[in-house]
Amino acid sequence: MSRRYDSRTTIFSPEGRLYQVEYAMEAIGNAGSAIGILSKDGVVLVGEKKVTSKLLQTSTSTEKMYKIDDHVACAVAGIMSDANILINTARVQAQRYTFSYQEPMPVEQLVQSLCDTKQGYTQFGGLRPFGVSFLFAGWDKNYGFQLYMSDPSGNYGGWKAAAVGANNQAAQSMLKQDYKEDMSREEAVQLALKVLSKTMDSTSLTSEKLELAEVFLSSSGKVKYQVCTPDALSKMLIKYGVTQAPVES
Amino acid sequence: MSIFEYNGSALVAMVGKNCFAIASDRRLGVQLQTIATDFQRIFKIHDKLFLGLSGLGSDAQTLHQRLVFRHKLYQLREERDMKPETFASLVSAILYEKRFGPYFCQPVIAGLGDDDKPFICTMDSIGAKELAKDFVVAGTASESLYGACESMFKPDMEHEELFETISQALLSSVDRDCLSGWGGHVYLVTPTEVTERILKGRMD
Repeated sequence: MSRRYDSRTTIFSPEGRLYQVEYAMEAIGNAGSAIGILSKDGVVLVGEKKVTSKLLQTSTSTEKMYKIDDHVACAVAGIMSDANILINTARVQAQRYTFSYQEPMPVEQLVQSLCDTKQGYTQFGGLRPFGVSFLFAGWDKNYGFQLYMSDPSGNYGGWKAAAVGANNQAAQSMLKQDYKEDMSREEAVQLALKVLSKTMDSTSLTSEKLELAEVFLSSSGKVKYQVCTPDALSKMLIKYGVTQAPVES
Repeated sequence: MSIFEYNGSALVAMVGKNCFAIASDRRLGVQLQTIATDFQRIFKIHDKLFLGLSGLGSDAQTLHQRLVFRHKLYQLREERDMKPETFASLVSAILYEKRFGPYFCQPVIAGLGDDDKPFICTMDSIGAKELAKDFVVAGTASESLYGACESMFKPDMEHEELFETISQALLSSVDRDCLSGWGGHVYLVTPTEVTERILKGRMD
C-alpha cells in the first residue's frame, strides 16, 4: 500500500483511489448496522444499538434514527459526532428549501444536497471526510416513498432495500434473496428484523438493542415518521419468531 | 399614509379561564381598494401557539415563513414544541435584528404555556414586548379595539363567553375603521381542542 499518500485527503493514490474515503468506510464497518426496506405503503428503518449499558440514562431520543423534516427521516451508521453535524446540516437545508419554495424538499434533492456537502470534504479544505453512512427514508409527491443510501465519498443511490454498518455485505445479500416487490409495510418490518437478527453479533435479540422506525402515510394523507416503542417492538420480535417468548414459571 | 396602514388589519387576543382566543379581520387592501376578503393573518405555530401579524401583508407572510423555519428546527433539535414565552422572545429577537430596516408588522402572540396557562403578548415592529394579563390588540383598528376590549372584557371567562366577547369587540371595532373588516376569523384554543370560526359582519 502506498502509505505515503494517506495523509492528505484531497490527493489520489497512484492506483486512483482516495484512501481517506476508504478508511472512513472502514470506520463505518465497525459501527452498529442499519437496514432500510422500501415497501409499497411505507419505508422501514431498523438499527442496531451498539451501546447498551445499564448505566446509560434512557431517554425518549433515539440513537440511530433521526427526523430530518416532517417527510424525511434517516438511519445512521458510523461516528455519531460526525452524524450529528450532518443531520443538523440536512435539517437546515430542508428548512431553507421550504422557506424559499413553501413546499417540502423532495427527498432526492435533500440527499443530493447533503452528499454535495460530504463530497466537498473529499476534494478541498484538507479536512477528513465524515465517517458516516446514511439511509434516508422519505416521501414526496413526485416519486412517493423512497429509500436512499449515502456514504462518506458523497455517492448516493436509490435502493429497494439497503444495509449499512457492520456485516452490511451479509445483510445486503440476504436482502437480495428475500426481498419481494410489492411488499406491505408489515412484511418489510418482518424481513428487516429477521435479517438484522441473523447478521447481528449478539446472541439474543431484545428490544433494548434495536430501534425501529417507519415512514408512512397516515389516514389523513399526511406523511408520518414513527419510532416504535420498546414494548411494541418486543411484542413484534416475539411474533415474528426472532426472540423466544419469556418462559412462564 | 403610513406604511403600517397600507394593507389594513385588525388583531385582538384575549385570555379566558384556561383558554385563549385570537381573532383578526379578513380584509387585504391596497390603500382604499379592497383586494381580498379572505386574507389569513393568524397562523398556527403548533397546537397551543398562535401568531397573528398585523401591518404590511408582505412582511407578515415573510416573517411568518421565517418563524416557521426557526420553529421547525427548534422542534427537531429539542424534540418538543416551543413555549409561548420562548417564541415571543424569538420573535422579538428577529424583529430587532432588522432595527434599522424593520419588518412593518406588529405581532400578536397567544399560546398555552406550562400547565396550560394562557399567555398573550404583543410587540412593536422592532420587538418591544408588551405582556398583558387580559387582552392585546394590534392593527389599524387598534384604538377602537382598545376601547371595545376595555369595556367588554371580564377576567376568567369560559370559552363560550370568551368567544362571544372577542367577536363582539372585533366586529364593533372594525366597523369604525375603513381599512379593516370584511368579516372576522376567530380561533378559540383550550387545552383539549382548537375551534376556528368565521364571523360575518358588515361586508364593507
